[in-house]
Amino acid sequence: MKIIVFIEQIVSTQVKLQGVDYFDPSRVSEDDLIINPSSKNALEGALKLKDQLGAEVTVVCVRGLKPNKALREAIAMGCTDAIEIADETIYTDDPLLLAKVYVETLEKIGEFDLVFLEAEEQATGSYAIGAMLSEKLGLPSVLYAEELEVIDSGYKVGHVLEGGRKIVAMPSKGIISCSDSQYFTPRYTSMRGILTAKRAVIPTWTAADLGLSSSVVGKEATSLIEVSLSNIVLEKESYIIKEGEPEEKVENLLAKLKEDEVKLGA
Amino acid sequence: MVKSLVFGQIREDNIEENTLGVLNKLTEISEISEIVVALLGHEIKDEWIEKLGKHGASKVITVKAPELEVYLSRPYVKAVLEIIKITEPKLVIAAGTVYGEDLIPRLAVHHGVSCAQRINDISSVGVELHFHTPVRDDQAMKVTKIEGTIKFATSRAGAFFVNENPTGGSPNVESLDVTFSEDDFLVKHIEIKKAERTVNLKDAKVIVAGGRGVGGKEQFQIIRELAEILGGEIGATRACTDVHWIEETYEIGQTGQSVSPDLYIAAGISGAPQHVSGIKAKTLIAINTDEGAAIFNFADYGIVGDLHVILPILKQKLQG
Repeated sequence: MKIIVFIEQIVSTQVKLQGVDYFDPSRVSEDDLIINPSSKNALEGALKLKDQLGAEVTVVCVRGLKPNKALREAIAMGCTDAIEIADETIYTDDPLLLAKVYVETLEKIGEFDLVFLEAEEQATGSYAIGAMLSEKLGLPSVLYAEELEVIDSGYKVGHVLEGGRKIVAMPSKGIISCSDSQYFTPRYTSMRGILTAKRAVIPTWTAADLGLSSSVVGKEATSLIEVSLSNIVLEKESYIIKEGEPEEKVENLLAKLKEDEVKLGA
Repeated sequence: MVKSLVFGQIREDNIEENTLGVLNKLTEISEISEIVVALLGHEIKDEWIEKLGKHGASKVITVKAPELEVYLSRPYVKAVLEIIKITEPKLVIAAGTVYGEDLIPRLAVHHGVSCAQRINDISSVGVELHFHTPVRDDQAMKVTKIEGTIKFATSRAGAFFVNENPTGGSPNVESLDVTFSEDDFLVKHIEIKKAERTVNLKDAKVIVAGGRGVGGKEQFQIIRELAEILGGEIGATRACTDVHWIEETYEIGQTGQSVSPDLYIAAGISGAPQHVSGIKAKTLIAINTDEGAAIFNFADYGIVGDLHVILPILKQKLQG
């Protein structure tokens, strides 16, 4: 059994950058980069099946300034191997172009059974990649999965739904995007995994290796044209207390609420 | 002028609220010439069609089939593609529910274009439509346009105002037959597990809510205690109800309950759009260790700090 996991590397929210600065590569160092938490849910889904069914799990990262960090962490979590897609010509802000890169990556990898990926691309705020990949490959998919069970015909999957959870059955070959849930809570890296990751040889593929050119996956190919990117100026003024001892902070808050005549209590 | 097609969604035997918001938004855009709604299902009620008309739909195209009783990607994509073929819209839009976010990108792929997602505004610049999407924890706004003869978009939950007194008329109704095959049902529906909603948070004046930062079931006790002192209710994010730290009835947000209290205390909540879209509070107080957490963008007041340290002090001060 072969599982492919596509992951995204993002800038941590712990990094003290504001708004558009997040999108400026010169403001971001390698230490600021983490695996998208939703990608970690996807990794966990694949690794659970690896534990259960003995699957081979290949992790792929297209996006990112320095994808290797994310890929080595994924191997340290338990993935079998990794592939880096590193090519500045790939325009990753468009989920349709990213889906094209994923399709060709899967074509080059060869046989596979399942594809796991994140529910949300955090850098772009896009939820489209799973659905687009599913349509392009003509494979069934379940998006926003929260739990997964192996059944005779494939998988029984529960996914997020407004007001509850929907349970569906899907065949053994398909695409699953994962949500933050108890079932997909990611495991930690292991010492053995860290050592394996250090030794791992990670091949790097370019767009050309996938038979793609910038006229197909580059910025010139996108139909989603960015008109502007700007910081959001908050309409209301927030009173956020950052400094002081905890007791001082609480006293500060209560004094301000009193001053503003905000009623605490029903 | 832009002819638009809206994916009509049903929730709890009624037109889904955000779908009405999308309709109302489209009626405000002068470049939108006609609003058509695609309404799919096993049974389609006249009252739903009337409601869509009141909120701005000039035409409703229905596809009735037992296979469409529950949303599944392939049959729904097939049916809406047929509707697109006969209506030739320039804009296809859905409320950003789980189903809307699933459907729109698939339709876009079939037309060889990308899509704008979770938009909170549409503006028109000349004949162009611009889509506004908050990104990076709502700290930045990305404005995009879509090249191509047809544009696809989803709205963010709660982004568009729903007119309480709509004045539209009765829409024209057209029905369409679509034939399905076995291949359309590779994914099979088993059941929908509705979350138990034993507590109605809609009318609560004060809510103290916890997120993943609470850390565990036992640790929710401080949230309960503070809510009790304030005479309020407790609330939680889906992450907390999913791991059973707290009963699912207390889930607030896009997939839980929508609330509009006078005071909302968000403790250990990051501020994901799926959660904050369900809150319309007069005053929001956020407590979070992460200074960069998106919740502070929505807060009126906030403390950067550990809720397990801050809330006991707050509780003590309020009692004393």
